[in-house]
Amino acid sequence: MKDIIRISIVLLAVSGLLLYAVSLLERSSATTGSGTISVFNWGEYIDPELIEQFEEETNIQVVYETFASNEAMMTKIEQGGTSYDVAMPSEYAIEKMKESDMLLPIDHSKIPNLENIDPYFLDLPFDPGNEYSIPYFWGTVGIAFNPTLLEDGQTFESWDDLWDPALSQEVVLVDSAREVIGMGLNSLGYSLNSTDMDKLREATEKLKTLGPNVKAIIGDEIVEMMRREEAAVALTWSGQAADMMWINEDIDFSVPQEGSNLWFDNMIIPATATNVEGAHAFINFMLDAEVAAQNADYVGYSTPNEAATELMDPEVIEDERFYPPEELRGRLEVYENLGLEMLGVYNEFFLEFKMDMEN
Amino acid sequence: MSKLNNPSKIYLAFVFIVLYAPIFYLIFYSFNSGGTMSGFEDFTLEHYAAVFNDTRLIIILLNTVIIALLSSFISTVIGVLGAIGIVFLRNRKTRSAVLSLNNILIVSPDVIIGASFLILFTLVGVKLGFASVLISHIAFSIPIVVIMVLPKLMELSSSLIDAASDLGASKRDILTRVIIPYIKPGIFAGFFLALTYSLDDFAVTFFVTGNGFATLSVEIYSMARTGITLTINALSALIFIITLALVVGYYVFNQRSRQIAETRGGQS
Repeated sequence: MKDIIRISIVLLAVSGLLLYAVSLLERSSATTGSGTISVFNWGEYIDPELIEQFEEETNIQVVYETFASNEAMMTKIEQGGTSYDVAMPSEYAIEKMKESDMLLPIDHSKIPNLENIDPYFLDLPFDPGNEYSIPYFWGTVGIAFNPTLLEDGQTFESWDDLWDPALSQEVVLVDSAREVIGMGLNSLGYSLNSTDMDKLREATEKLKTLGPNVKAIIGDEIVEMMRREEAAVALTWSGQAADMMWINEDIDFSVPQEGSNLWFDNMIIPATATNVEGAHAFINFMLDAEVAAQNADYVGYSTPNEAATELMDPEVIEDERFYPPEELRGRLEVYENLGLEMLGVYNEFFLEFKMDMEN
Repeated sequence: MSKLNNPSKIYLAFVFIVLYAPIFYLIFYSFNSGGTMSGFEDFTLEHYAAVFNDTRLIIILLNTVIIALLSSFISTVIGVLGAIGIVFLRNRKTRSAVLSLNNILIVSPDVIIGASFLILFTLVGVKLGFASVLISHIAFSIPIVVIMVLPKLMELSSSLIDAASDLGASKRDILTRVIIPYIKPGIFAGFFLALTYSLDDFAVTFFVTGNGFATLSVEIYSMARTGITLTINALSALIFIITLALVVGYYVFNQRSRQIAETRGGQS
C-alpha cells in the first residue's frame, strides 16, 4: 500500500510540474496583453513567425489550433462549446455556414488592408460583396505530372491528354466528386457547374473511357505518392501540386486550356466568436502586404494579395502554373452551390464512374 | 525454463524485427536532410532543432502527457474501487448486469463515445478544451481498469478476508492491508493500459478538443493536407527514446529493490 501511495504522489507531482511548464511556455510564447483570439486553421497553413509578430504588434494573444477538413471544422463550430474568432474554410463550406447562420458579417471599415486584394478575387458568387469572408489563399485544379516518368514531349495543355493511351495505369485522381466530374465536363467544353442531366451523363460516359489509364482514386495520400514517384500523373489541386514540387523538383503542374476550377480558402469570423474586434485586427494584419508576402512564401500557395505579389520573388509571381495569366483566368470557374439534390446527382455519377472502374 | 531451440529463436527474432522495423525506419529518416521519407541525403539534426523551436508543438506534447498521467491515475482510483464494488455485489444477476454494462463500454466504437461526449459537453455547456478531454479520457479508461483488476479480485479467496476480520481488522484495514496489496499487479496493469490508451487515443479526442487545446494525435492528423514533415519523425524518435529510458529505468529499479528485499530476507 505504501508504494502505491508513493507512486501516486510522484505521479501527481510530475503532472503538476508539467502543468507548470506548460503555463510557463504559454506565457513566454505570448506577450501578456489585452485579450486573446483563437484562430482555427488548416495544419501547416501559416508562418508561425507571423503569429508572434501579430502578438507583439497588437498585444493580443493568439490561441492557435488546426483542423484537417472543412467538415471537422464546421462540426466543432456548429456544436458550440468552442469560441474560435477566426477560421479559414474553403468556399463551399462558407456557403453552408452562411445558410446555417454560423458566420458574423465582416466590418470592412475595420479592414483597411482589404484594398490590397486583387479585385478579381472579390465579390465572388459564394459570398457576394465579401460580406462574410476575405480570401486567404487561392488556387486551381490541374494536372501534376512527373516528366522523368513519362515519354518525352508529353504535355498536358488539354484535359484530353489524360486519355492518351501511353498513360495506361499512370493517372491518379483525387477522390472528390466535383473535381472529377468537373474535369469530365471541362474536357467536353461544358461548365463545371453544369446541372444539365444530359451533359453530366455525357461527361460520366467520357470519364468511363478514362478507366484503363487510372491507377487509383485517392485522398491526401496523393501528395506522398507523387513525391515518391509511385505515380506519374495526378489530377489535383494546385496547392497539393505545390506541396509535391516542394519535395520532388521533377514534378510539373499544368492547368489545361479548356478551363478549370478556381478555389479559395477564406478568413471568416464564426458566430460563436468572443473577440470580434481582435478577429478583425487579425484579418487586417494577415492582409498587410509584407505579412501576406511572407506567408505566401512560407505556405507556397497562391496569394490573392496584389500588393504582396509586388514584394515577392518575381519568379514565383510570373510562374503561370500557379498565377495563371489573364486569358486563362477567364476560363476558371468558382464552384457554385448547386444545392443538396444536385450534389447528390454529382456523387451518384461519380460513384457510377468508380463502379465502372472495378469491372 | 528450458532453452529455446534454434527455430524458435529465429522466429522470435523475426517477430521483433517486424515489430521494430517501422519505428527504426522512422527514426532513421528523422536524420535526413532531404526532407522526405524517401532517399536519404545527408545526416542532419535540423529536424530536432525544429522540434525544440516549435513551442506550440512542445506544449501539445506536454499536454498529451499530462492528460495521459492524470486521466489514467484518476481512472485507476475510480476503476479499482468500482471493481471491488462489483465483486462484492451479493446478487449474481446484478453483478453480471453491471459487468456487461462495463464491457459494452469497452466494445463500443470510440467514434460513438467521442460523438456522444461532444453532444453531452455542448448540452451541459462545458467548454471544449483541457477539462473536456480529461473527463472523456477518464471515462473511457475506467472500464479498462475494471477489466484488468477484476481477475485478481476473483482470485482473492473470501476466507482471507474472513480471517482478517476474525483477527480484528477494521473494514479500512481489510481494504488497505489485504485487498489492495493482493490485487496490486492488476492495479499496475490497469494503470499502464489506461496510460497507453490515453496517449494514443485519436477518435474520442478528435471530437472533444477545442479552443486551442489539442493532443499530439489530433495535431498530426491536421497536418495531412499539406503533408507531414520530418519534425514529426524527430518528435517520435524523442518519444521513443524517452519511453525506452523509462522502461529500462523501471527494470533496473525493480531489479535493485528485489535484490535489497532478498538480502534483507536472508538476514532475518
